[in-house]
Amino acid sequence: MNTLVQNILAFVAVALAIWFLLHKFGVLPKKKSASSKACGKDDCGCH
Amino acid sequence: MSKQINVALIGNPNTGKTSVFNALTGLNQKVGNYPGITVDKKEGICKLPRGVKAHIIDLPGTYSLNASSIDENVVIELLLNKNDKDFPDVAVVVSDVENLKRNLLLFTQIKDLEIPTILAINMSDRMAYKGITLDIPLLEKELKTKIALISTRKKSGIDQLKDLIANYKELSLSPSLDASEIDNVYFDKLRKAFPNQLLYKLWLVITQDVNFGNVDRNEVEAINSFKTKSNADLKRLQQKETIKRYQFINNTLKKGQTIDLKTAKDLRIRLDRILTHKIFGYVIFFAILLVMFQAVYDWATYPTDFIDESFASLANWTKNTLPPGAFTNLLAEGIIAGIGGVMVFIPPIAILFLFIALLEESGYMSRVVFLMDNIMKRFGLSGKSVVPLISGNACAIPAVMAARNIESWKERLITILVTPFTTCSARLPVYVIIIALVIPEGSFLGLSYQALTLMSLYIIGFMTAIISAYILNKVLKIKSKSYFVIEMPGYKIPLFKNVALTVLEKTKTFVFEAGKIILAISIVLWFLASYGPGEQFNDAENIIKTENIALSEDDLEDKIAAHKLEHSYIGIVGKAIEPVIKPLGYDWKIGIALVTSFAAREVFVGTLATIYSVGSAGDNEETIKKKMAAEVYSNGDKVFTLASGISLLLFYAFAMQCMSTLAIVKRETNSWKWPMYQLVGMTLIAYIAALIAFQLMK
Repeated sequence: MNTLVQNILAFVAVALAIWFLLHKFGVLPKKKSASSKACGKDDCGCH
Repeated sequence: MSKQINVALIGNPNTGKTSVFNALTGLNQKVGNYPGITVDKKEGICKLPRGVKAHIIDLPGTYSLNASSIDENVVIELLLNKNDKDFPDVAVVVSDVENLKRNLLLFTQIKDLEIPTILAINMSDRMAYKGITLDIPLLEKELKTKIALISTRKKSGIDQLKDLIANYKELSLSPSLDASEIDNVYFDKLRKAFPNQLLYKLWLVITQDVNFGNVDRNEVEAINSFKTKSNADLKRLQQKETIKRYQFINNTLKKGQTIDLKTAKDLRIRLDRILTHKIFGYVIFFAILLVMFQAVYDWATYPTDFIDESFASLANWTKNTLPPGAFTNLLAEGIIAGIGGVMVFIPPIAILFLFIALLEESGYMSRVVFLMDNIMKRFGLSGKSVVPLISGNACAIPAVMAARNIESWKERLITILVTPFTTCSARLPVYVIIIALVIPEGSFLGLSYQALTLMSLYIIGFMTAIISAYILNKVLKIKSKSYFVIEMPGYKIPLFKNVALTVLEKTKTFVFEAGKIILAISIVLWFLASYGPGEQFNDAENIIKTENIALSEDDLEDKIAAHKLEHSYIGIVGKAIEPVIKPLGYDWKIGIALVTSFAAREVFVGTLATIYSVGSAGDNEETIKKKMAAEVYSNGDKVFTLASGISLLLFYAFAMQCMSTLAIVKRETNSWKWPMYQLVGMTLIAYIAALIAFQLMK
């Protein structure tokens, strides 16, 4: 039982770490914030 | 329930705006980015009289509302968009008592937007010293505002400023300049076409390249009854506006300000003469650098060793106390080793930023920029390239973005391409640990060999940047023109609070930004190093026991752990790249660290800490440094020698080991072509330099 819990916790931690890295380096798309303003858009004319 | 108002702190660069922000908010502040762009956004909360709370936003420094950079766009966008949640109830324009004339241009522009505006005249403690007297009631009357005469250094006037902010509703909204004075006929048409809009706001919509929420340029241009002028005409009108504003400011200051030049005791001129001298200037700068790098080593040793040993003990305690299993191993060998790999670099990074903050706060950094401009010109760079090259010593990402204010595309591109050669703080962890491992401890003229090596690496980085710039300037066939303007702020004794906050903020950024990546990579690495395919990994115990019957139990355990690591997933990857890196003096474990540190250079040490923790069966009491020092090849030769160490230092000095920098270069050049040239070019230079160094020294 103890081994099973330890394995589950370890694999969850590894999965979270992979998810975080994929997000951080743009492999997974980032969720756009609802408060995003004109400046965040490519066509806003300020870039 | 207490009421909260939005307060925008606005001002020219170097007016002490951040000091005012710190004085108002204390530690109640946070740093973020504006949506969609990486421009620092500082926010904080200030308690005002009568239970009113102020949400203070420290906006980027700007000279006027005629934006020429993204930083300045941020200011205009906020001031013109009433729908923005941060739209200010009141604006505080911070100005420097020595440069009132120039600072008032921005003040009059903001006032004309009919936003309640307070003028905070900072550095009032220098008035007597500079022979300046101000008639505040007269200035308040002429400028139609309230003035707070403050000194963040002497902590005076801040309460008065808080009172004025709390009573912002009493401020006059009348403009300083009637916009129609710029061109009566044109502004009359404008007023008729948009009767419900503020005239000066419309003028800014037409002349600035930004969106303002509810009003946009296309709307203005779409109206048939109103034709916008040509760009040349608009520029002419903008110039006319500036002249009109300065006429008003000159008249106001003639009445309200007197400067007695005889009273002014100008130490600044004498100091400038020495600090920007064509010989002594460089000697002094070089001496300051030497002291800085010596301090990084001398002061950081004890806290670094303490942190390193504490994490090693914690890892050991965790392994011995928690029930055995995968998660316990992950905690001891992956997470704690990974966090330890971040924390040990807090002392050297904090000390480095302490020096940088002291140099910036004192006004010396601007003299360095001015001094270096002479060198820059000879290498085909703009004087403005100095700012990215110097700020590249902290981080290449904001440094690459700082190149935005270089008008010439060629100079900007060259600056972007060479800036990553300068020694960013992410290289520091790698340098610190490798130098401590391979450079002997002696000293020369009171300066340790280790500090001298560190300084040499900074110089190598800077020299490579400017030599590459020279070559690129000859190779790239793009024609352009540029000029250099830099503001020289007065000399100041750095404020402890400002320096402390800068060090805290920069160190926090390293720990939380780089730290998260290092921790995540450490966890993934632990998995890849703790699991593997095939019999060699899964049956390691039997294979080693059969081959080494005579060995003691401890030696057997060590051999099993090493065998498993070699046949783990990470071991397989490391072995695959070993032939490429072996000529540089690296084994497959260092190879893994090179691959993972492509995400960020500072991951290098954390990776080795994780790999060496998993690869040893003994206790984890050993520090990262000791583990690296004890690492040997199968024939007993040390892995980290002077030759392999110098080879590694040179590799990291030249290689483009930073995914984020590549991403930002792609964004700034709007093409993958330049970051790819940069990646291939820098990696080639790094590989060749490391190869030559190792082959000559081994």
